[in-house]
Amino acid sequence: MSPFSTDGCEVSTGFLFSHPCGLPAGALCPRCGKRVCDAHLTSQEDALVCTSCAALGSGDSEDDGSTNEDSDDASSYYTEYGYYGSGSSWSRGASKDPHDFTEADGESLRHEQDASFEEDLGGS
Amino acid sequence: MGARWLIYALGGGMGHFTRACGLARVAARRGHRVTVVTNSVFAPDVPLEDVLGAGAHVHRLNPDLAKAAVREAVECLLDGVRPEVLVVDTFPRGLAGELAPLLPGLRMGKVLVHRDLNPTYVERFNVAAAVEDFDLLLVPGEDAPFSQHPRAVRTAPWLLLERDEWLSRAQARQQLGVDPEDARPLVAVMGSGNAEEVAEAGAIATRLQERLGASAPVRWLAPPGPWFPVRPSKSGAPTRNLLQPVRVWPALAVMPGVDILVGAGGYNTVQEARVTGTPLVALARARRYDRQAVRLRPEELARTEAELMERVVALVGPRVARAPETYSGGARDAVALIERAVLSA
Repeated sequence: MSPFSTDGCEVSTGFLFSHPCGLPAGALCPRCGKRVCDAHLTSQEDALVCTSCAALGSGDSEDDGSTNEDSDDASSYYTEYGYYGSGSSWSRGASKDPHDFTEADGESLRHEQDASFEEDLGGS
Repeated sequence: MGARWLIYALGGGMGHFTRACGLARVAARRGHRVTVVTNSVFAPDVPLEDVLGAGAHVHRLNPDLAKAAVREAVECLLDGVRPEVLVVDTFPRGLAGELAPLLPGLRMGKVLVHRDLNPTYVERFNVAAAVEDFDLLLVPGEDAPFSQHPRAVRTAPWLLLERDEWLSRAQARQQLGVDPEDARPLVAVMGSGNAEEVAEAGAIATRLQERLGASAPVRWLAPPGPWFPVRPSKSGAPTRNLLQPVRVWPALAVMPGVDILVGAGGYNTVQEARVTGTPLVALARARRYDRQAVRLRPEELARTEAELMERVVALVGPRVARAPETYSGGARDAVALIERAVLSA
């Protein structure tokens, strides 16, 4: 058995709420050090890295606007109404705004939403 | 001899207290002494006592109470009412989680009114554990996470009014300001949910009326609230082309006069439309605890306001066909079940 299999894959996944994948991990990502399962392992520049690092590119360049179809970016599910990602009417012709939400912002907002169960008493 | 009931109907909007009052008035007519507790912002303006009649009353909590104050108020009510039956609408743990530690120690019949719940809430707040503290789960007219529980019983939807309390088509149209002789289909846009959504319903109704022109009258229905009385604009001139709200509560009473209902996917709007056979076109509003998009059927759900408009126009075109009525008194069955399964146990 793989030495990683008792600890699950740490790559974030999920449609509405991201969470660690949790599938048996078979490798470590050389960039971020996360445990990675086969499904979240991909090759980039002759190296096997996790899909999160692959989506970020080589790490020394800004987002060039290209998309990675294999990424777990939930916004890739939205193609019309409510979609603000690359290719949408909101993003066309616009450069990357340094104030855009990032994955880290999503993390904080998610916890805020979870915490509001049983906290926002008028929200039902 | 009747028992003392406390119906816990905390939660925003009108759904919780409307469903609770549907149960309460049947129980009161059976001789039970019923207290309904609500903290909805709508509750102070809505004449709930008028439909409840004798034997039931409403305890209105300030909607702005903080979590600790809600907990304290609920504890005081349990202590003061000393119910023999506690009926909890929707939230097995209580709206603020305050019931969860109390339930195991409460020596009374405990009934959960169980409807759709956000799966994330169910999972992360261990709602399953709280469900186990209830003697009976009543599932009124829609699927719910624990509807397969051994103590769960499905009933027909609970409505606030009995079938013989609905107005006739002619009476309903007259109340909505449409001549009974007017054969055109009547479109009603239901304002509910919260103050912003009530106002949005007015805007939608206005745009629909502009779009439909003389082919169909459109009415903006609104419950009693701060939007009444309608005041003229500051200039004194009537606001051009803006529909004014029609005060209607309970809306179920006038549904026989409505040919197309436009609204959201809340429990009462959806069930009232279906039971009366009224075609519904609805936007799924975001809610923290239930999922309107799940509740709405594909033929009822409009994903955008533009789609909503087109669907309504398409329905107005031909003669609108109502589905058959399906009223079957779910609240009466629920009271009978509580009497049999909880009070007689």
